[in-house]
Amino acid sequence: MTQTSVVIADPQSSAAPAGPRPGVTRALTIAGKYGTIIGLVAMIVLLSIAAPGTFFSTSNFVNVITQNSLIAIVACGMTLPLVVGEFDLSLGYTASFASVLCVGLMTNQGLPIPLAIVLSLAMGATVGLVNGLLVTQLGVNALIATLGTGTVVVGINYAYTNGMPINLIGNKGFLDLALGKFMGVIPNPIILVVIVVFALWLLLNRTVLGQQMQAVGGNNEAARLSGVRVERVRIWAFVIAAFCAALAGVMLASRVGSGQLTAGDGYLLASFAAVFLGSAALRDGEFHIVGTVIGVLLVGFGYNGLAILGAPTFFQYIFAGGLLIAAVALSTVARRYAGR
Amino acid sequence: MGLEVAPPLVKVTGVTKRFGAITALNNVSVAFRSGEVHGLVGANGAGKSTLVKILAGAHAPDQGTVEIDGEPVVLHSTLDSRRLGFEFIYQELSLVPKFSVLQNLAMGNWKRSASGLLTWRELRGRAREVLDVLGLSEPLDEPVGHLSVADGWLVSIGRALMRDARLIAMDEPSASLSAEECDRLFGVVRGLVDSGVAVLYVSHRLDEVVDLCKTVTVFRDGRVVDTLTGDAISKSALVQGIVGNDSTIPEVVERKEVVTVQKDRPVLSVRGLRRGPLVNGVDLDIMPGEVVGLTGLVGSGRTEVVRMIFGADRPDAGEMYLDGKPYRPHSIPNAIRAGVALVPEERRSQGLFLDKSIDFNISLPTLSTLKTGPLRLVSSGRRAQQSGWMVKKLSIKTRSIQTPVRQLSGGNQQKVVMAKWLAGKCKLLLLDEASRGVDVSARAEIYALIRQQATLGTAVIVISSEFDEMANCDRVVVLREGRVVAELGTGEISEHAILAASFADHSDDHSTELSRN
Repeated sequence: MTQTSVVIADPQSSAAPAGPRPGVTRALTIAGKYGTIIGLVAMIVLLSIAAPGTFFSTSNFVNVITQNSLIAIVACGMTLPLVVGEFDLSLGYTASFASVLCVGLMTNQGLPIPLAIVLSLAMGATVGLVNGLLVTQLGVNALIATLGTGTVVVGINYAYTNGMPINLIGNKGFLDLALGKFMGVIPNPIILVVIVVFALWLLLNRTVLGQQMQAVGGNNEAARLSGVRVERVRIWAFVIAAFCAALAGVMLASRVGSGQLTAGDGYLLASFAAVFLGSAALRDGEFHIVGTVIGVLLVGFGYNGLAILGAPTFFQYIFAGGLLIAAVALSTVARRYAGR
Repeated sequence: MGLEVAPPLVKVTGVTKRFGAITALNNVSVAFRSGEVHGLVGANGAGKSTLVKILAGAHAPDQGTVEIDGEPVVLHSTLDSRRLGFEFIYQELSLVPKFSVLQNLAMGNWKRSASGLLTWRELRGRAREVLDVLGLSEPLDEPVGHLSVADGWLVSIGRALMRDARLIAMDEPSASLSAEECDRLFGVVRGLVDSGVAVLYVSHRLDEVVDLCKTVTVFRDGRVVDTLTGDAISKSALVQGIVGNDSTIPEVVERKEVVTVQKDRPVLSVRGLRRGPLVNGVDLDIMPGEVVGLTGLVGSGRTEVVRMIFGADRPDAGEMYLDGKPYRPHSIPNAIRAGVALVPEERRSQGLFLDKSIDFNISLPTLSTLKTGPLRLVSSGRRAQQSGWMVKKLSIKTRSIQTPVRQLSGGNQQKVVMAKWLAGKCKLLLLDEASRGVDVSARAEIYALIRQQATLGTAVIVISSEFDEMANCDRVVVLREGRVVAELGTGEISEHAILAASFADHSDDHSTELSRN
């Protein structure tokens, strides 16, 4: 960004705002800003030392990034509702249903691959629209509204499948979507993640809608009095988030070659941990796309390391829950200290 | 003061309270007696509220003493004040709308049985007694949200009575009540003092004060300038006290019809604008390049009028014209697109994104004009250029346009809010209390900016409670109880004239509720 320097510096305005304990505040702010990145680097270094052969290898790194590419897509989408100050708990279920629907439309309804994909994505956007309308038009609390729609989506998923996974029959080309490699080198999911990250970064930082999202999240009343149609902006955030979740679901179906009823559910928790961890990175508790990517890597390498080190299943659960709480706490603390 | 029979319930002696450089109360002494309605009058910021807040334990005085029944006390908190039997009823009623009348009355008056459970039966009995005293016939189980504003006031008073209050302070209780509702309220107030309670009555409506109060203390600039009792209380004496004795009250030039010099078509014309109890038929015309002050006491309807012009509220009745064309903004974006801009009353909560950069704050409303390229992305270069230019033009003191606005001083923050609108094209700029909480030099700069913008042809409406600032305007429109009561031209604008218009009677102006003597 262009740093236009204007007007002679004024000592009063340039001084840091007076806090109760400026030293502590500064330390915490810095720890929050760079802590996540330092944590990521430290984790990679430690795991490389602990498991030199298995962890520290190009194939493992590519593997981690590919595996977490779908979480990254969900997490980047989830960033938008959080930017406008809302939550979306339905994203994991939407991803699961999109994977089932996409395979089902091909296997059961015999639709061609592109149409099945488009309809699955449209389903995702529709769930987002419903979430947005419930929150803005009926004033339902976002946590409750999205928990409700998410559960309804689970129900529709079971109704569509009779509770049985759907296997891909024919349409082998669909598998290339996730398993193929761009120019024979880079796995397709990584390419897709790069596109999604770049598109959402542009959206948030360089479009009117994205700036309005940040305005709504920053101060809803001030945004309204500045002429922002705050309801419309909120609805868009939900629609884009759910669209991304459905996109991840389609990729998931392509990767496993079948529609699994609950395969995407776990993306929700992992994404929350990633987005909140990322919000503390570089900025003071503000949700942003680059931070989310850092958060996904942190979560991804963390899980991978645990698996390689052979941590028992119970510990992986404790790690996941603990990480989520730690991430949100870190984000909250960062925001509090940024304010004073 | 007459014969001292018993010590007064509350005796305040030599109290001074400063907020920064402002002396809100200066060596104030006053006594409140049981069984008396004691009026507190004065212009906005004269010190009435500060005194009430000291009694409520919300502010500690810098100097001076407070005695209760002749005993000196120190009020550390609102709890201390409540323990002494002081109750305070503010305009924003502190009732829970979803709770029933009984639940609201019980709040803070909970009585527990030996088992630790609430004894509703006992509370219900007490509540019924209290409502009888107040003449409130609503069933106890009715949610308070269903009651009228007036009944809400009565429930608030009821809550005070549940606690056997010895002193009840009311801040502008009649502001949003109809004539009959006022009558009921006054009946209750009289009943209260007959039963030995002291009532502090803060009001801008002097007729009520004359009617109701046995003693009236007049505040001006943080000092007690007069204390009147009994027959000495008259409206003219009160106005004299509020406005000041140092010169005679100037004749208010009344102009029901708008000034004639029609050099241009007005940017905005408002005819017969009404909404709720607070705006009762406002007419207004603003010419291009004109700076019009819109003023009046708190509750006179200033903010409400401006909100309607900005599309934030819809009028119940009346017409608006922008550039001669009918103007009915049904939303804020609608008003903004028509070229109307508002600098809102609460800078921090309504005007700014505190954690965002100056650049972000300034460019938000004009983003759509900064789009470039095939993807219609916001050009960060042009955006920074525009923000940088506004920062320079308004001499906002900052190192960089990326500085979060939270780090700026109040005056510079206010300039950021103004820059936001001046960056675009606006025909009509509305400023609500734009100079609140900024220092003197920033204030002067803000008015210079307003004037500069006006010379470009923008019509400006300035709302301010600081009457002395109105001298910066070409014309001042004074509102009282939702009506235009006076218009002052360039030579006539003075603090005195505005105060006089805000308080003084007009022979042809029989406002709905008053004039019963």
